Amino acid sequence: MLRDITIGQYYQTDSVMHRLDPRTKIVLTFVYILSLFVFENPAVYAVAALFLIIEIILSAIPLLYMVRGLKPVVFLLAFTVVVNLFFTGGQELVSFWIFRITIEGIKRSAYLMGRLIFLVLASNLMTLTTAPVSLTNALEYLMKPLKIFRVPVHEVAMMMSIALRFIPILVDETNKIMKAQIARGADFESGNIIKKTKSLIPVIIPLFVSAFRRANNLAQAMEARCYNGGEGRTRLNPLKYRRADIVAYVLLVIYAVLIVFMGCFLFRVIPIAV
Amino acid sequence: MPIVDLKNVTFEYIRRDNEGNVDGITTAVDGVSLKVSPGEFIAVLGANGSGKSTLAKHINALLFPTEGAVFVDGMNTADEDKLLDIRSTAGMIFQNPDDQIIGQIVEEDVAFGPENLGVPSEEIRKRVYDSLDAVGMSEYGLRSPDRLSGGQKQRVSIASVIAMKPKCIIMDEPTAMIDPEGRREILETAHRLNKEEKITVILITHYMEEVVDADRVFVMDKGKVAMSGTPAEIFSRVSELQELRLTVPQATELAHRLKMAGVPIRDGILTGDELVSAIMKLWSAAR
Repeated sequence: MLRDITIGQYYQTDSVMHRLDPRTKIVLTFVYILSLFVFENPAVYAVAALFLIIEIILSAIPLLYMVRGLKPVVFLLAFTVVVNLFFTGGQELVSFWIFRITIEGIKRSAYLMGRLIFLVLASNLMTLTTAPVSLTNALEYLMKPLKIFRVPVHEVAMMMSIALRFIPILVDETNKIMKAQIARGADFESGNIIKKTKSLIPVIIPLFVSAFRRANNLAQAMEARCYNGGEGRTRLNPLKYRRADIVAYVLLVIYAVLIVFMGCFLFRVIPIAV
Repeated sequence: MPIVDLKNVTFEYIRRDNEGNVDGITTAVDGVSLKVSPGEFIAVLGANGSGKSTLAKHINALLFPTEGAVFVDGMNTADEDKLLDIRSTAGMIFQNPDDQIIGQIVEEDVAFGPENLGVPSEEIRKRVYDSLDAVGMSEYGLRSPDRLSGGQKQRVSIASVIAMKPKCIIMDEPTAMIDPEGRREILETAHRLNKEEKITVILITHYMEEVVDADRVFVMDKGKVAMSGTPAEIFSRVSELQELRLTVPQATELAHRLKMAGVPIRDGILTGDELVSAIMKLWSAAR
């Protein structure tokens, strides 16, 4: 049923990417994804690919493992490519029935495919190399400036980390409740989707009741341990930038400059021969 | 100065029916006065609904008395400015280990209290590992709490509380959801902290076996203190305890029954060993 749920997809090993500060990795991924959407130009994509390959090598995650991460988006990928390949207007290359393959179509679907693959790989790389705890931690740091707009940054981060903590407990509880209901003759397996959904009601209601009871207990335990909001809190493991992070930021800036340079100027200097 | 001083504490709450109308008033704690000296190991015994947990929550300033006053290390819990001081002086351990572990990693959970108190990072690290050492869990610092047994989780909870350097810890039925092995671990830890770290312990429980080694025992019934004294004094009053729906330890009960049957055995036997030596003494005297 609901066994072995892993939150996030942290791949435990020791590598340069793993040791980077989680903040660096979030900024890195963010800038990288941004860079994919600004220009449509083969040179830019070549640089982006190179950057991603270096990242993957530094992460010590097996290539096959990374490629497998593309599985959930295969359908989306195929759909995008097909639609763009056959239904983009422009200079006709081949045509049959209602389908026309154009040069623009080929170019566009190639770009989109590259964009999607790079995007998924880059974001997977971040979650594979960073534990969920560190990610929530880093988000709290990075979102701090939002405090001036009265965004409850600390509270949001605390909620995220408590949610992560309680997912395995609630999964356990769901299993227990389901077993208890099965023992009383409940049937979760047969029937169509509507019947199956309905049969989950006797699981969901006790689960909610117990979740609220737990929330109440937890709140009391937090209060008992002097929790008083984010004000004046210190940390066991404060995030600290190391030399590797500075190097990573410098490389990121070089990358960004390179991309902008290529996107703005190079394209005009070396027109792509088609 | 007593570390915990309850002065005529009464706590009432309003019962409501399903529509939210007032149904009546329940007096959970009814005029309880007791003093605990620093370094003592106190046990509060009581059946379900005797008000013992409600009383415990007053000491940690989670509940406030309707009447009377609670002083922790000289601080009145009604004083809002002292709230954090009171909570870090008198740490609280709850029944369900899963519902009081906040961190996703053991060391982060133990750090939660000191983090709230604004302790510097270096000092937190030291406190975390000192506390884990004190409960014998230091090699689990980087584990996920989900992978621990009930007894281990509860010991982490104890470490989390002692990381705040409390003078007193209140344990609210810490063994109720734990297997016998884990129960033994928790009690041993509590007694060791009491002897070695000189931390005052207030143990709330309904298991009589757990109070045998306490310095003083209070038995609660219907919100009032029904009996108080040393474990030996309390356990010599077997029939009164049974009236309060409490089960006495097996050795005590056997001694009590022997006495009722006319055997001139002494009162206040708590353990199997004591019972054996008392019987041996009687037997050799009879020969």
